[in-house]
Amino acid sequence: MNNFSFRVLFKKIKIKNAICFLWVYFFSNFIFSQNCNAYLYYGDTLQYEACVIAEKRAGKYQFSRAYQEALDEAIKKCDYFSHAYRHKSVAYLKSGDFLTWKILMDKAVELDPEEHLAYRGWCRYQFFRDYQGAIDDIEKLDALINYDIGFSQNGDYHLHIARGLWYKALGKESEAIAIIEKQLAEESHSPGLYDYLHLGVLYLEKNEIDKAIEAFNLQAENYPYAENQFYLGLAHKAKGNFPEYLAYLKNAKAMYVKRERVFDVYSQPMDKIYLQEIEAELKNARSLIDH
Amino acid sequence: MKNNLLLFLSLLFFIACENNRQENNSKYLRHVGDIKHDPKLDDENFVACRESMATQYFAFGEHLPYEGEKYEIEKTFFEKYKTPENSTENGLIRIRFLVNCKGEAGRFRLLAMDDNYQGKVFDKKITDQLMNLTKSLKGWRVMASKTDPRDYYVYLIFKIRNGELMEIMP
Repeated sequence: MNNFSFRVLFKKIKIKNAICFLWVYFFSNFIFSQNCNAYLYYGDTLQYEACVIAEKRAGKYQFSRAYQEALDEAIKKCDYFSHAYRHKSVAYLKSGDFLTWKILMDKAVELDPEEHLAYRGWCRYQFFRDYQGAIDDIEKLDALINYDIGFSQNGDYHLHIARGLWYKALGKESEAIAIIEKQLAEESHSPGLYDYLHLGVLYLEKNEIDKAIEAFNLQAENYPYAENQFYLGLAHKAKGNFPEYLAYLKNAKAMYVKRERVFDVYSQPMDKIYLQEIEAELKNARSLIDH
Repeated sequence: MKNNLLLFLSLLFFIACENNRQENNSKYLRHVGDIKHDPKLDDENFVACRESMATQYFAFGEHLPYEGEKYEIEKTFFEKYKTPENSTENGLIRIRFLVNCKGEAGRFRLLAMDDNYQGKVFDKKITDQLMNLTKSLKGWRVMASKTDPRDYYVYLIFKIRNGELMEIMP
């Protein structure tokens, strides 16, 4: 690009935007450096140096050669820098390579269980539906710490709510309900995106219909989704309230089409439903009402 | 002006050589999970459109980009998969492949593990079925980033318990 085109480019950029960009750039670097400086605070210069080397991956795509190589270099500098193994593992996780992912995450957990057990446990569920492995990791972490266990990597669940769902997947519905209810009763707990939806489905499956409707109504107050309307419809069907059954299914379809639905870009969340399921149920509801 | 052009072309040449050198010296492909064409394994009629720009299935902000969503994929497998008799096979099987800019799939690769995340070879009665069913899926959507349709990688993971298909991921 010659001087002329640079001049044109500079004219196009507003000074105010440029200043904002510089401040953001400055602070993002500052924040990153501060993270590495934490190692210096604890007198660990080797991890500090590895952390600074790992910074080379900034701006690189997680799957890219450059990203992986920056982390390899960091590990070469300090083979106990646990975060490098974890960050390396992400591309393998997202490409479904469970073998390489597990080797890398096991190393991270071995080096710093308190830091990485929650993440490994959550990923075992989210990507590989390894319910027992996920429970083992989270319960091991819970025994290690005396503070709140925190949230899933995607932020959708408190990890105790997620743990309840994993028990459900293993066929232990009563334990699942007890775990979820206990967490929801915690004063510090704010309802997650899908907490009451899952609780409602659990009650529905145990044929506790009034409790299911109560949970679905709480879900609707916080985060209404097509799935919540769908299961509310099923709850009313179980009570023989066919007009409500049909009305909720119609709502479910409208919301589904508008993409107001349970969603995770990487995997299929529990209790998610699809348009075909709503339509099949709608057909059933209409035929019940017609007869 | 002529000198500037020469300088620009030299710079491009240098960058291209440097990238090539780095690629040849690296143990990594362009991206983790990339699948190189193998004439011994791959259908010669399958052609990637712009492989150097191939991305991942989730890069378009959707879950599996398939007509009728994952529901239709599950329907195919759960209706057609036959559990081998007296099977004691357990674990996960991943089939990863590339969907080109026309929505055609190719370069299918299989990876498997036991319940302890150790590599495993499953009974062919299971893996052949899953591979053939995966190859039979014809609903992969043409996905575009900005204007150009892109090639993208997808994987399916099958959870097997005593030879039975239990769940499909992602």
